[in-house]
This record gives sequence, C-alpha cells and structure tokens, in this order.
Amino acid sequence: MLSVKNLTKSFNSPSGTVKALEDVSLDVDTGQFVSIIGKSGSGKSTLLSMLGALDTPTSGNIHVDDVDIAKLSSAKQTAYRARKIGFVFQQYNLIPNLTALENVMLALEFGGVKSRERKARAEKLLSDVGIKADQQLRKPSRLSGGQQQRVSIARALANRPAIILADEPTGNLDSETGQKIFELLHNLSRSENTTIIAVTHDLDIAGKTDRTFSLKDGKLTKLSKS
Amino acid sequence: MNVISRGVKNSMRSPLRSGAIVLMLAISIGLILSMLVARSSVNAKIADVKSSAGTLVTINPAGINGFAGGGTPFTSDQLATIKATPHISSTTATLSDQLGSTDTNLTSSLELGSFGERQQRFDSPAASSSTSPTADSTSAATRPAFTPRTAVTGTTNPDSVATNGGSLTISSGSTINGSGSDLVALVGTTLATKNSLTPGSTFTAYGKTITVSGIFTTGNTFQDSGIIMPLATLQTLTSQPGDVTHVIAKVDSSDNVNAVVSALKTSFGDKADITSEAEQAATSVASLSNIANLALAGVIGATIAGAVIVLLAMVMIVRERRREIGVIKAIGGTSQKVVAQFVAEALTLTIIGAIVGLGLGVLVSGPMTSSLVTSSQSSTTATTGTNRGPGRAFERGLGQIGTNLTQVTSSITPQVFASAIGITLLIAIIGSAVPAWFISRIRPAEVLRSE
Ligand SMILES: Nc1ncnc2c1ncn2[C@@H]1O[C@H](COP(=O)(O)OP(=O)(O)O)[C@@H](O)[C@H]1O
Ligand SMILES: [Mg+2]
Repeated sequence: MLSVKNLTKSFNSPSGTVKALEDVSLDVDTGQFVSIIGKSGSGKSTLLSMLGALDTPTSGNIHVDDVDIAKLSSAKQTAYRARKIGFVFQQYNLIPNLTALENVMLALEFGGVKSRERKARAEKLLSDVGIKADQQLRKPSRLSGGQQQRVSIARALANRPAIILADEPTGNLDSETGQKIFELLHNLSRSENTTIIAVTHDLDIAGKTDRTFSLKDGKLTKLSKS
Repeated sequence: MNVISRGVKNSMRSPLRSGAIVLMLAISIGLILSMLVARSSVNAKIADVKSSAGTLVTINPAGINGFAGGGTPFTSDQLATIKATPHISSTTATLSDQLGSTDTNLTSSLELGSFGERQQRFDSPAASSSTSPTADSTSAATRPAFTPRTAVTGTTNPDSVATNGGSLTISSGSTINGSGSDLVALVGTTLATKNSLTPGSTFTAYGKTITVSGIFTTGNTFQDSGIIMPLATLQTLTSQPGDVTHVIAKVDSSDNVNAVVSALKTSFGDKADITSEAEQAATSVASLSNIANLALAGVIGATIAGAVIVLLAMVMIVRERRREIGVIKAIGGTSQKVVAQFVAEALTLTIIGAIVGLGLGVLVSGPMTSSLVTSSQSSTTATTGTNRGPGRAFERGLGQIGTNLTQVTSSITPQVFASAIGITLLIAIIGSAVPAWFISRIRPAEVLRSE
C-alpha cells in the first residue's frame, strides 16, 4: 500500500521558486499497475523521484507500508532504494563498462545478496526477461534498445522490490518494442504482485493499466478508472 | 565483482587517457625518487665531511702568516687566555725564528733559488750577514748575494711540525721534550747531512752550544732543513719570553668548536686570525647543502605536480561519469561505495605510475645525483687550501675534503624508497579527496532528468 498526502515540491532556481508538485495526494494498492500521464514539465519525474526517495519533498508525506519515507535519514533512504524500489529509466542507464550480467549483479550487491549467489540469480532474472546467455555477457553498447531496457527491468527486479518506478520506459523504443516491454512489466505486476508506477506519453499503453493519474502544472487533475 | 575490482577495471576504460596519466605520474614519481636519492646522498656526504673535519682551531696573531707579513706575537698572557677558554682540551704553541750565518755555525741546506732571493730583497744590507765586499755599481749592488737562512721552530709539541698530521718521524736519536727548556734540538735530515750532525753532536746558535737530540724526516724540503727546539728554549735564546706566533688548540668535542671559535673571537677581537677545521669544512660543503635544498624543492614540486595530475584526471573522470554515479546511487549504492570505487581507480593509476616511475627513478638517480654535484663543484675547490705556514696538516685535511666532495655516491636506501612510496600514496589520497567530495554532491534525482 502506497499513500501520498499533500505532497509539495518546489525548486529554487535563479528565476525564482518553481513549484514542480503542488498538494498531490493519491493511494495505490499493492500489486496495482498505475500509469501517470501529463505534458512535459508537468512534474511526473519529480513525483517519481519523491516516491523513489531520490529526493525529499518540501512538504507532505509518503507512506510505504506505514513507513514515511520522506522522513528517513539519507542512509535509510539509500537502503530503501536498494531493497524496496526498482527503477526503469527512459535512457536505460546501464553502467556502460559492465556486462548485462554484471549490471544485474551490481543491484544484487547493493541489495545485500551474498556474492556467491549473485551470478545464478542474475542469470535467472535475465533469462526471465528474455535475454539469452550469450547476450548476458555483452556490454550495453552491444545490445539493442529493447534488449537494454529488458536488462534494466531485470536489474529493477533484482531485489524483489515492492514498487517499480518507470519513467517513460518505452519512450526511446519503437511502438512494437515498446508494446513488448509494456507487456513484460504488466506480466510482472501480475505474477510477482509488484506495484508498478509508469510514466508514459502513450495513451494506448496508459489505457491498459489499472489506473491512470494525470498531472498538469504539478497538480493532479484527473483520476481515471479509480 | 566488488568495489575494488570495478575501480581497477574502470581505470582501463579509456586506455589512451589512462596511459597519458600513468606516463605523467611516472615522470613525477621518477623525479621524486631521484631527488630523494640525491638529497639523502648529499646529506650523508655533508654529515661525513663535518664529522671527519676534526676539532682543531688555529689561532695566529693578526698579520702573521708563516714567515711573511708583520704582526706582534702573542704574549704569555694571551696564551693563558687561549688555554683558559672553556672546552679547549690542549694547546700547541709555536714560536718561529730564522738563523742567519752570524747566529750559528751551521750552513743552511736550502738553496735560495730565484723565489728565495725575491723574498729577501727587502732585507736591509745590515741584517744580511755577508754584504758583498765587492759591491760595485752593477746589479749586484741592488741585489746583494744573500745567504739562505735556517728556520727554527720552538714548539711545545714537536709532533705539530709533522706534515702528515700524525707524530714526527725521528730517523735517529730521540725526540725532545717540548715543554722543557734544555739546550737541545731536533735537526731536519737535510740540514744534518749538510753539517754532518748526528745525535749527540753539538752546534752553536744564538751564542750557545746546542746538543742534537735526534734527526727528523718529514719529506718536506723546507721542514727537513730546519731545527726544532723546546718553545721555552727558543723564547729564552731570542729574548722573547712568553711570545708565540702560532697556536693550535684542540677542542674537547666537535659540538663545541663553534662556541670556542666565537669565545676566542670575543677575547681577541681583531688581534688574532682564528680558523677552525669545522668552519672550513662547512664552507666547503655549502654548495652541497644548496644541492640538498634544491633536491628537496624538486621533491616538493614533483609531489605537487603528481597530486595535481591525479586530481585533475579524477575530477575530469567524475564529471564525465556524473550520470553513472547518479545511477549507482539511485539503485542503492552508497556514496562511500562510489568513492571507494573511484579511489581504487585512482590508486590503480597511481600504482602503475609508481612502478614505472620508481623504475625510471632507479635508472636516473645515479646520473642525476652526480650531474647535480659536479655542476656545482667548480666553485667549491677554490675556497680551500689558502692557509700557509706551520699549519700544514690542517691544510692537507681540507684539501682531502675538497676532492671528496666530487665523490658523492648515490645510493637508494630502503628509507628513501619507503619515503618515495609514502609520497606516492599521499599523491593518490590528495588526488582522490577532491573528486570524492564531488561524488558526494551528485544527487541521484538527476538521473531522472532528461537533458
Ligand atoms: N532539480 C531541479 N531544479 C529546478 N527545477 C526543476 C528541477 N527538477 C525539475 N524542475 C522543474 O520542475 C518542473 C517539473 O519537472 P519534471 O518533473 O522533470 O517534469 P516532467 O517529468 O513531467 O517532464 C519543471 O518545470 C522543471 O523545470
Ligand atoms: Mg520527465
């Protein structure tokens, strides 16, 4: 259960204070697949960074299973990111000089998995998302965009997180590949009962999720399928 | 894969850049090692020269230098002052005189030669025993045919005449008691041969009959044509009671030489010329100290250069991998882990640079030290060897120092090697500290920003 109350985030920029999020409140049930839509600059990424404890809100609360993550120490926030959250980025953000396998093993290391268990577990995760054994030993630059995003999903799943936060995961992919990635995420939320919150521009995709939130100028405007 | 192996792996990510960094580091580390070697070798030499310099202090009445120059001999009061100076353990006092043909029945064994003649041209004809009776208007009138004289040294310690710095070699007979006042003498081997003197025979000087106690050999023609008498005997014979023209004082410890010299300078002011072996040695090693300082400056400069190279390289790398660092933090990596990874990377580059650089330093330090030393030697040798007169042993010792200066041998001691490694680690730490601060400032939220 994820519960956001009166969340506000403002940034101090040279041109004055920017309110990226204003009084956002929402609840997401465990295992739900939720999409967030909105124009560029509407605060979607800012909302995800608050939910993922990448940044602290100016005011408001974020409760994940009764823990207010906005009030955690920075060391606890890091641990929360490592064990409870999986990130999937638009630019995949794999570590360029590590192989696909090593990228997943890195997340396992941060999640506290014993070093001798990491390799087998990473191999299983990668084959589950459709990355074959020979591809697992390649560096990201030798994988296609779709394959890289599969690797990044495997990395996000590595520590069996409670929530996966995906910021425009299909944004850099052609529609067919994007569709497959979306289906991969969708199946996961079903089989692993993982809460998935995905930002998307693709209304087609948004339409297939359990719920869709719409942001405009930092404010939640529309709750669909609630 | 752990933090360390990722850091090591990252150091090879851009081989060309890593190669350039390693090369620059190797040069500065090589320079550090060779400068450290030069410094420690030169310092060892300085310590060596200073410790072997001895503890003798020479005190001459101002203006007296051997038989040349004027000046007034020291009186017995002044000698007492010298003896009473703290830390002086013993003194050797000497009075020098010359015997003309009217003073003695001995024939000088010295040939005057053109140098000797020039030295005596200032003497008044009256002082000269054999003014040419056939003084005509030729050049002989202005240059009368002088006879050479015989040098007499009255000393409290006959060994001080020895040119080798040790004891006087007595070839036959026995030595004399310098502190006595008997009418005895040691005769130089050349003079003895010329006058057929053997131990036990007598000769006349200053109107008295003197008994030959022994014959001495120094190997120096001037000395071997002279006579040594007890100081008091010569003082009485020449009616100069208590007067001395040369004093060598032995200081109890080399640590006290400077104190003794300044005490004597205070007592005598400009009435005496005071020189110490240690002082002379210090002047002669002055250029070596300059090299040591230069080498130290080199070490500091190369250390700063090395640290700046690592620092700039790591700052550049951190900026370049800003996003990657953000990702590592976003997926749960702690700042410490990221910093450790970058330190491992900096250390890898530094260690490779150090291996190459230390190898380079070992090869270069020998030639570097000797070229530093020889290029500064031409000015050093000229400063030694100006002291003439009875203090020959003293002078020889300094001449020895002069030649030793060029023989600084460079050696890489374990301590020098250890300091080079220590400095290298310092470079890596300084070079990593600033990038570490940059790393800790990178906010993980930045990875969500699409630029
Ligand atoms: N670190 C920041 N500093 C200043 N302004 C920021 C920062 N991050 C986001 N913003 C501003 O907050 C607003 C929302 O940004 P963002 O959440 O990235 O929008 P979206 O992801 O919906 O495109 C924008 O106006 C953006 O310029
Ligand atoms: Mg965004």
